[in-house]
Amino acid sequence: MNSKVHPESGKSTGIKRRSFIKAGAAAACAAIAQAEAAEDKPEATVVVVHGKDIAKMVEAGMEKMGGWDKFIKPGAKVALKPNLAWNSTPEQGGNTHPDILRAVILAAQKSKAKQILIPENTCQPEKMTFRASGALEAIKGTDAKLFRPKPNDYKSVEVPKGKICTEAKVERDLMEADCLINMPVAKHHSGATLTISMKNWMGAVDNGTRRAWHRNGLHQCIADLSTFLKPHLVVIDATRIMLDHGPQGPGKLAHPNEIIFATDPVAADTYAASLFKKTPDDVPYIKIASEMGIGCCDIKKIKVERVEVEA
Amino acid sequence: MKWLRRNVWRILITAAAAVLALGYFAETHPELASILPRISPILSLLGALAARKWLGWLMLLGIPLLVLSAFKGRFFCWNLCPMGFLAETAGKLNPWGKGLVRRVPYLNKALALIIAVTAACGYPLLIWLDPLCIFNGFFAAWREPFTWAAAATGIGFVTVLVLSVAVPNVWCHRLCPLGGLQEAIWNIARRCKKTDDPQPSALTSAAATRRTVLAAVPAAVAGIVAKNALGPNGRKAIRPPGADLVRINALCARCGNCMRACPYQLIQPDFGESGIDGLFTPVVRLRSSNPEQEQYCFQDCVACTQACPTGALRPLTVEQKHATPIGIAVVDKKKCIAWEKKEYCVVCDEYCPYKAIKLEKRNGVNCPVVDESKCRGCGACESNCPADPIAITVKPLKQ
Repeated sequence: MNSKVHPESGKSTGIKRRSFIKAGAAAACAAIAQAEAAEDKPEATVVVVHGKDIAKMVEAGMEKMGGWDKFIKPGAKVALKPNLAWNSTPEQGGNTHPDILRAVILAAQKSKAKQILIPENTCQPEKMTFRASGALEAIKGTDAKLFRPKPNDYKSVEVPKGKICTEAKVERDLMEADCLINMPVAKHHSGATLTISMKNWMGAVDNGTRRAWHRNGLHQCIADLSTFLKPHLVVIDATRIMLDHGPQGPGKLAHPNEIIFATDPVAADTYAASLFKKTPDDVPYIKIASEMGIGCCDIKKIKVERVEVEA
Repeated sequence: MKWLRRNVWRILITAAAAVLALGYFAETHPELASILPRISPILSLLGALAARKWLGWLMLLGIPLLVLSAFKGRFFCWNLCPMGFLAETAGKLNPWGKGLVRRVPYLNKALALIIAVTAACGYPLLIWLDPLCIFNGFFAAWREPFTWAAAATGIGFVTVLVLSVAVPNVWCHRLCPLGGLQEAIWNIARRCKKTDDPQPSALTSAAATRRTVLAAVPAAVAGIVAKNALGPNGRKAIRPPGADLVRINALCARCGNCMRACPYQLIQPDFGESGIDGLFTPVVRLRSSNPEQEQYCFQDCVACTQACPTGALRPLTVEQKHATPIGIAVVDKKKCIAWEKKEYCVVCDEYCPYKAIKLEKRNGVNCPVVDESKCRGCGACESNCPADPIAITVKPLKQ
């Protein structure tokens, strides 16, 4: 603040006390006014549903978001990207809860989606992870197709706004979808501090790209791909969150019992990070993504609409 | 046509054995793949005797053949053995070689004796001469994706067939240790029955006993010497979980079952890494065939240990596997992204199923250190390390 008040005059020693106080007060007023203005005009909205019954929570959250029909038109190709990386059970919080997955699939079917595709580049053998995570059970009796992409399913693309990651091999269906829904689970991550929605795209690229990111500056690369792969909807599973030993777990759990809905991935990640008592300063990729203009990471400028669902 | 009608049963049995050996169900039921070799008491019973371990009820599959040979001699050989049928058929291709076999000495009983005595000493030599293992090894080599390395276990089969064409019947009548074992049991059983008629057999019996003892003593010495001299070779490479690290080179029948059972094709035949005596024994090669898919010895998979017929790999439960190291991961700090470049990484910790990576904060970045008490050497870290060249690698267990 001081630097604003005393521009590069270099005369700081010559400043009179009175003028200093005056200028300081003026600046403070200006700052407060700005903050008030921001609260009037939020830059992003996040819907947070609290409750126990996941199916009802998804329904309530989407109602607040403007209804499913706003996102999924009849005949649309829908791609879901849950986080199903690990061979662990739904209770352990390593993967997106299967009930959320099922609720979204059923909603997409109701909205007459033509195709529901769930490509996921798992970290452990997919046969085991799909079964253990409950995802296989969740897609039972639906039209959804869950698979681990084969090398041919990835397409090399340019990331025009990328700073480090200018090229990536991205799963084709995710890029071609009419409605792309990123549905991660929020959890601790030993390398990236937290993994929420933007980090979840690491399961959307091939292993070569994944490795290159680690070599060349992980946080910038995560933000880079988010300039390219833009979800129409973000649904974050924070029914239970892993506080340590992430991303694989098992680790210590907390139970916020929340599901977060947003269209701005940066705002969604920022809110979810607050559940871990972390700010974008602790999670560099959120900050970088915001600086690159992907979304809003200022928690004061994010409007949080809370919905309570009775059990 | 006449041949076909006469041999229809043997053809069917051989085909059934081949299906068992091909083991397409090995991924879901690895223990089924061990049934065929376990029918041979050389593999199942002598193997367990040498390993000094109870290998589960399936090891008792070797008993019927022992009982059968006591009453019916080599009935198994002439009617049931798939390797025998193929060897005999191969011999028919060479009509000029009919008398050749008479010039070859009888080695089968001697070989059976060597295997039995050295097995009793805890270090079985020549166990890989078992015909069912040879048969199984050939079919186990045909797997997806096919590699020439995987085909190594098929060498015995080809050798037996070539030998059988060159000298018809030489395998079944002169060499096969399983045949020799059955003949020995049949002879003993016959002698026991004829005790009241001592005239001619008493003499041969005494001579046979003397010869047996004379042969058994050097065999026992060889077994004990081999165990001490060659035993350490077992630890030179990374072995599949549950491996008997002292006896693996001796106990392994080279049947190819474990290699076939591994869903990620991580188990491959050794080409001399663990000494000449370890040729074609199973070693774990991490980061194998397909770099697109991370592959490591998956923590909840015990397929190879269930598929082993001899006790070279002890059958493990998932809980036991979680406690059984196959190697130890080592971080090369000079190559490590976190240690050297001071960048966010620790993918090794991310993937480690055993939480064996301790994190040390340096310059605000988590850096990996291996906790040797927790590391099982599964290679999840190695196969996912993004550094180039790889900064974390699994080494064999220390001597």
